[in-house]
Amino acid sequence: MNFSDQNRFINNVRKALGRSPGHKSSLQEIFSIKTVDESRELYEKIKTRTSTQRQKLLSRLINESKTVNLNVICLKNATSVSTSIAGLVREKEPEWGSRKSLTAWEHPLIEKLKLTEVLADRNVPVFCSKLRNNKEAVRDRNTEKMQIRKHVIDSYIGVTSADFCIADTATLVMKTRPGQGRLVSIVPSIHIAVIELKQILGNLKELFILLQHDPKEKSEGLTNCMTFISGPSKTADIEATLVHGAHGPREVYLYVITGR
Amino acid sequence: MSQITTEKYKDEAKRAIKNPVLQDALSNLQERLGKGAVEAYKNLPEGHRLRIEAHDIRMNAIENLDVLLKSLAENVRRNGGHVYFAEDALSAVSHCLEIARKHNVKTAVKGKSMLTEEIGLNRSLEAAGIEVVETDLGEYIVQLAGEHPSHIIAPAIHKTRKEIGKLFSEKLLIHYTDDPPALTRAARKALRDKFLAADMGISGCNLACAETGHITTVSNEGNIRMSTTLPKVHVAFMGMERVVAGLNDYDVLFRLLPRAAAAQNMATYISYIGGPCHKDQVDGPEEFHLIIIDNGRTKILADEEFREILCCIRCAACLNVCPVYRKIGGHSYGYPYCGPVGSVVTPLLVGINRAKDLCLGEMLCGACKEVCPVNIDIPKMLLGLRAKLADGDRKWNVTRASLVEKALYKTWSWLIRNRWTYDLFLRLAYFSQKFLPQKGGMIRRLPPPLHGWTGKRDILPISIETFKQRAKRINLNP
Repeated sequence: MNFSDQNRFINNVRKALGRSPGHKSSLQEIFSIKTVDESRELYEKIKTRTSTQRQKLLSRLINESKTVNLNVICLKNATSVSTSIAGLVREKEPEWGSRKSLTAWEHPLIEKLKLTEVLADRNVPVFCSKLRNNKEAVRDRNTEKMQIRKHVIDSYIGVTSADFCIADTATLVMKTRPGQGRLVSIVPSIHIAVIELKQILGNLKELFILLQHDPKEKSEGLTNCMTFISGPSKTADIEATLVHGAHGPREVYLYVITGR
Repeated sequence: MSQITTEKYKDEAKRAIKNPVLQDALSNLQERLGKGAVEAYKNLPEGHRLRIEAHDIRMNAIENLDVLLKSLAENVRRNGGHVYFAEDALSAVSHCLEIARKHNVKTAVKGKSMLTEEIGLNRSLEAAGIEVVETDLGEYIVQLAGEHPSHIIAPAIHKTRKEIGKLFSEKLLIHYTDDPPALTRAARKALRDKFLAADMGISGCNLACAETGHITTVSNEGNIRMSTTLPKVHVAFMGMERVVAGLNDYDVLFRLLPRAAAAQNMATYISYIGGPCHKDQVDGPEEFHLIIIDNGRTKILADEEFREILCCIRCAACLNVCPVYRKIGGHSYGYPYCGPVGSVVTPLLVGINRAKDLCLGEMLCGACKEVCPVNIDIPKMLLGLRAKLADGDRKWNVTRASLVEKALYKTWSWLIRNRWTYDLFLRLAYFSQKFLPQKGGMIRRLPPPLHGWTGKRDILPISIETFKQRAKRINLNP
């Protein structure tokens, strides 16, 4: 790594800013401190939400989802979600090939859906974006990754969960973790996300508060890819006409498990 | 370097005004996006006040750029990424070429980035035998047509659906159609193959986060996510000013950006990307490179009069409300940055004399300032540039645009400060204007060097009664 370029570059910036040679300041000093108290308060508020408040957030989410063409489906439990997903699989046809297959995240909520079993009688395979952890697999990781990549590309539906969902903008927020790949939510023609009611947040500000104040979020960091998704892929590049399905999914379904 | 044709501003503008198709497209764009942005601000709980807050956030970042860039670089490296600092276009491009050579890259897929237009990246990669595919639909259309983008976020706004239909039938070998969904599907199919085959993904950077070492990318199409996840190498290009201190700053900025750019509450996709794929993760690039570029920006930073323009987040809202852009379109500006923001940035980057028509062409109506999500005072900076053109400036190496004009204004300034000579001048002018061509009580043409004022309009003749006399008369006879 050549640091002389960096030092020269940053020195030019310092000169341009008219810094004196001894000038020192750290990133911490640059943050605006005025919001600290306010954010602690908001953090407490998020953490102590009642189920009535959560229901209200859900209504806001449903309302906002219409603007971004996101389909929100609220169901009581995992079983009814998998029945509904099976319905989608029956109804929707693949965009690129003729064979139906799904790729899903490795995630506790997704495992509860038992998609492999539910779809077995239809002969629709469900692949998991998960690396095996045995020694042999570790040695041949690249082959395994290529295999998963191929499954995702061939799948017409990708199933994920999410870390949060922001009601005000109908935005899914997802970090990347082992077993929870980035491609599953962008390459297949249809994206299905499954979350629980408690994962809904009010607005963008609440998300950033959680990322900075929640001990678990803080220690994990943003991961190497945190993505916000608000509805299906779209474009308006031809005569400003809105068209869904530019490069990413043409349809997005969000299942919210309400628990009652 | 990108091709600079700022000298052709007037000719190109005239041509654009005569193009009825372009005129329709531009008014359409402004009616939808320009007005839409103003409406979208209204449903913010903080209303327009939020723009002032955003300005403070951006200014705070710009004034601490040295600290932020250092932290950003440290944190990106800690996340496993590589960081290069490039002082000019050439060095940025050669960094990218080096990475491409190392990985034996044959095809690169690109997300939209004005900066890569600025540094002329595509041409250099193509010269090295690498196929570069623009993947934003608008950019793709423009690339297939062999043209340049004419708008920061709607690059193909100057093309009609019929033109695009013809283009696609020739280049993608599909049956002619002018149906936007069908055309989008054709591009989706063609580009999917490119995404899957590419060995390098190239993106810009919207606003990097110094605190965490992530860049951010924003798109509606999903092309940037595909470009930055599928290929084995991701190279991100970032103008050195596109950074904020920490996560706290994004709430305000990401609520404003989609509203300003496309009248949306939220963009479809925003990604925080920090470093390559970990060994236990299933996808993502094996290498992540961030190239941070100066290319004339420190010079702007050093001048407090223009420093504020570095707050710009390239949302294009000012293009969508500018009455000048509405008539002349993006190509007239002769450089990737067009519209009001281009009229400030381009002269500062390529030379104030060379791009003088850009800042002289704007009309100082102030709409750009009012719609700017980070409340940049563009009109003030346009005036600043004009002052430099009027008087010359050593620091910016500006030669005076016109000696005659300066002499005239000097004389005028002396004249109006001396009552007696001013009255005499008015009298003389009153009598001599009778020799000028008139119609319907208006003067049709002024003699050189004043003829510019009557090129497109008639002006009122000078009255025999001075303002002072008139005021007196009205006061005496109320």
